[in-house]
Amino acid sequence: MSKKIETLFIFSFLVLFTLATLYPALNIIGISLRTDDAFQTRSLALWTAESSFRSYFTLFLETDFLTWMKNSFLVSFVVTLTGVVLASTSGYALSRFNFMGRRAVLSSLLMTQMFPATMLLLPFFILLAKLKLINSYLGLIIIYSSTALPFCIWQMKGYYDTIPAALEEAARMDGCSRFSAFIKVILPVSSPALVITALFSFMASWSEYVVAAIVLQDPELYTLPLGLKSFQASLATQWGLYAAGAVVVSIPVTILFISLSRFLVSGLTVGSVKG
Amino acid sequence: MLYENRKALREVCDKYEDSHPGININLIYRETEELRSNFQSAALGGSGPELIYGPSDQVGPFAVMGIIKPLDDLFPPSFFNQFSSNAVVQFQDKTWMVGDGVGNHLMLMYNKDIVSSPPENTDEMIKIGKSLTKDLDDDGIIDQYGLVWNFTEPFFYVPWIGGFGEWFINDDGSPNLNTKSNENAFAFIKSLRDEHRIIPKECDYETANALFKTGRAAMIINGDWSWGDYRDKVDFGIAALPMVSSTGVFPTPLVSTKGYSINVHTTSEKLSHTIDLMTYLTSPEVQLHYMRRLNVQPSSLAALSHPDVQANSLLKQNAAIIKKGRPMPVVPELRAIWDALRGEYQSVLAGTKDPHTAAVESQRKAIDQIKTMNLVIEPGVQGKFIKGLLFLFIAALGIIFWIKKKIYLRSFQENKFAYLMLLPAFLGIMSVIIFPFGYNLIISLSNFSLRTFKDWEIIGFHHFASVLTDGGFYSLFGKTIIWTVVNVCFHVSLGVFLAVMINRTLPAKRTLRTLLIIPWALPQYIAALTWRGMFNQEYGSINLILNKFFNMSPIQWLSQPVEAFSACIITNIWLGFPFMMVVALGGLQSIPKEMYEASQVDGASRWQQFWNITLPMIKPVMIPAVILGTIWTFNNINVVWLVSNGGEPSDLTHILVSYVYKAAFNLYRYGYAAALSMIIFLILSMFTVSFMRRSKLDAVV
Repeated sequence: MSKKIETLFIFSFLVLFTLATLYPALNIIGISLRTDDAFQTRSLALWTAESSFRSYFTLFLETDFLTWMKNSFLVSFVVTLTGVVLASTSGYALSRFNFMGRRAVLSSLLMTQMFPATMLLLPFFILLAKLKLINSYLGLIIIYSSTALPFCIWQMKGYYDTIPAALEEAARMDGCSRFSAFIKVILPVSSPALVITALFSFMASWSEYVVAAIVLQDPELYTLPLGLKSFQASLATQWGLYAAGAVVVSIPVTILFISLSRFLVSGLTVGSVKG
Repeated sequence: MLYENRKALREVCDKYEDSHPGININLIYRETEELRSNFQSAALGGSGPELIYGPSDQVGPFAVMGIIKPLDDLFPPSFFNQFSSNAVVQFQDKTWMVGDGVGNHLMLMYNKDIVSSPPENTDEMIKIGKSLTKDLDDDGIIDQYGLVWNFTEPFFYVPWIGGFGEWFINDDGSPNLNTKSNENAFAFIKSLRDEHRIIPKECDYETANALFKTGRAAMIINGDWSWGDYRDKVDFGIAALPMVSSTGVFPTPLVSTKGYSINVHTTSEKLSHTIDLMTYLTSPEVQLHYMRRLNVQPSSLAALSHPDVQANSLLKQNAAIIKKGRPMPVVPELRAIWDALRGEYQSVLAGTKDPHTAAVESQRKAIDQIKTMNLVIEPGVQGKFIKGLLFLFIAALGIIFWIKKKIYLRSFQENKFAYLMLLPAFLGIMSVIIFPFGYNLIISLSNFSLRTFKDWEIIGFHHFASVLTDGGFYSLFGKTIIWTVVNVCFHVSLGVFLAVMINRTLPAKRTLRTLLIIPWALPQYIAALTWRGMFNQEYGSINLILNKFFNMSPIQWLSQPVEAFSACIITNIWLGFPFMMVVALGGLQSIPKEMYEASQVDGASRWQQFWNITLPMIKPVMIPAVILGTIWTFNNINVVWLVSNGGEPSDLTHILVSYVYKAAFNLYRYGYAAALSMIIFLILSMFTVSFMRRSKLDAVV
């Protein structure tokens, strides 16, 4: 009996906590439904008499939102693909082979996370300008994939470490090459980690603003964060549009997270220690 | 630039394209601050747009950096003569910009439905303001304000210094802040808020704008750019800022121009097209179009004498207001003055400094900052020595490689497969992370700054020394540690706590787990801006909730240093706990149930189980996550920058990374910023190594 009461107690606590957690997210939905000027109100209600979906209509019908969305999907898709391919192969090399420089590579992967990203902007720009990659998706994709890679490699390596080596040894006995053993045996069992890697690469590119702002100059090429920011003029933000845009931008990532949350728990290893 | 202005610009460009086949005008739109930093980077890389349109105060820095062209030789003298003098922007005896309109100045606007005639002087303004600041429904909360404006920003403040007699800047560009006028103006604004209570306690631009537009403020101090926005919503009138009663002097708003400059990299055929386009964009014809659509005060003398301009009553009143103003200084030193003034002024408003001290301090700081900004350290012996050392280092690497060539080659042969698998990722990371890192290392040893934008040289460890001997660094470092420790502790404890709660038989377990991940899923900048809105003193949901359910008086979240820093921390805790929760959940699932059952048989309590089984079992997965989390939090600039609006109040909410950003892009101290980021890097490396040693986690990598 006491167990039931305890469960009930914990359950109600968690529900309250979840509601509090969700409030900021709901808050922005509330703003997106108001008019531009009504965002400074004292009402806590999310839906008021003045609320409407007008901002959403304007967003899709009168702005280039759909173009930005298409661009963002394109960039994120390529980045995700590149991220998964590169992280899965190099993570494997780091997990299974003891070669010269392995430790150096592993520590430098961690080191890359330690440098303040803002100071990388100027060199990025100079590099891309020299390579004539300004205003092209290629430049953006190279930067995004590479900045997301260190974490993804670490994460893949950690997961491979948990897979017994006997698995591919068996496959090798059956006459598989190293590479085909990797493709046929290891990759399929690593799907949770691959999903996480994909998710991280996607997130890194989907909502990135700062790098996109220096690389992309042609409005035709804008990605979502850039487009969204253009509603936010320094002295006259179109808040309704901005909030509506923010909600729409958040939807794909949220859906991804929700549908992949099963894998998140089993696939996110962040490089656990071998026992 | 407002959306309507952008549209109008596009229209005139379309027209130009129609009459000039083969010419395509590409408009790239950036916000003022970003325009500056992006154009700087672009020009450094040798590219960027041919024509730059922006406010006149960017002329100074751009001209000093040598990234825009002087216009004197490109246009005939007759071209410049057709504009009113304040639209032809000169700096160091050369012309750098021609404006297509005059204005950007502050004035008093009033809602005609509430105020019948605007106040002539400040006493009247306070009187009207008092009678119009009302609590309509008697709930103790003000529903209508007499006056609102973005009063915490220096641009919106300095006109009052003029009203008290003196000016904030001398003709040679040096600051003039240690004056009685500055003190009086500080005290005056503070009295409007605290004594007369006719302005809100916290009021940024957005709040002021929204209050005025919805009829909840009788008067607003704002610029001519806002007319278009108000036109359809409020029946408003304009007037000069009211005369300061005690001095009998009118406040002096800054009058500037927005105009065109030419990128230094524009040459040959493109240059002649650019000149032609610029002539068109500043022509009377285009200016009249802007005047009709957007009520922009023309800069062209021909346009000014056009009957349509003469007949426009708003512009007529406006011209009189402009006469009371002073031209916006274009010297690069202005930034340093703004910055020093902003900090001290916000301290006065927060009540931590009295006006006199703040005036003295702002003068001292402005002079200091101008000195550091303009400082050019000449490369001495140390510079040559370092250069030699760098060269030797590279040579040594080459020689070592050459000697050990065979070993490397053999290792490659043996592990060809592994190296090949690693190669593509390695190349990517190499170019995108290692190259910039090396670049930064060199910059950190150089004198790269405003004055040496194009010809910087290696000077040695000066910047490292000046970072480490500056007391400010240690207080920033302390704040960063508090920031990191508090955040990570909350992330981990909240994460583990929630994970343990969820990891049992519960109804709707999966739904709860999924919903709790949402803060992680939301794009960070969106979440941070939402939180900033929620922290607003009067209209933010946090204070509203605290008031409604806990009956607490409103907290000034964003204008008091400790509160503002807490606001940043709260936001970041919210953003970060789901990651730790997910990692902890993963760890919990790997604990066999039998362990708990066995300990239950032994009569262990819940707490003992948690302490002796759960924690040790999830430790191996948590520790790498803690290391990563610490690094990420330490370097998280987004939250601090967005929630505190770039370090407000008075730059007291900075952590190391946000300060790096400010040093690099606000005061052009690239060398210094690079040195500081190298130091951050070293701090984090040392932390990681020692943390891993202590937790015997060498095996992690």
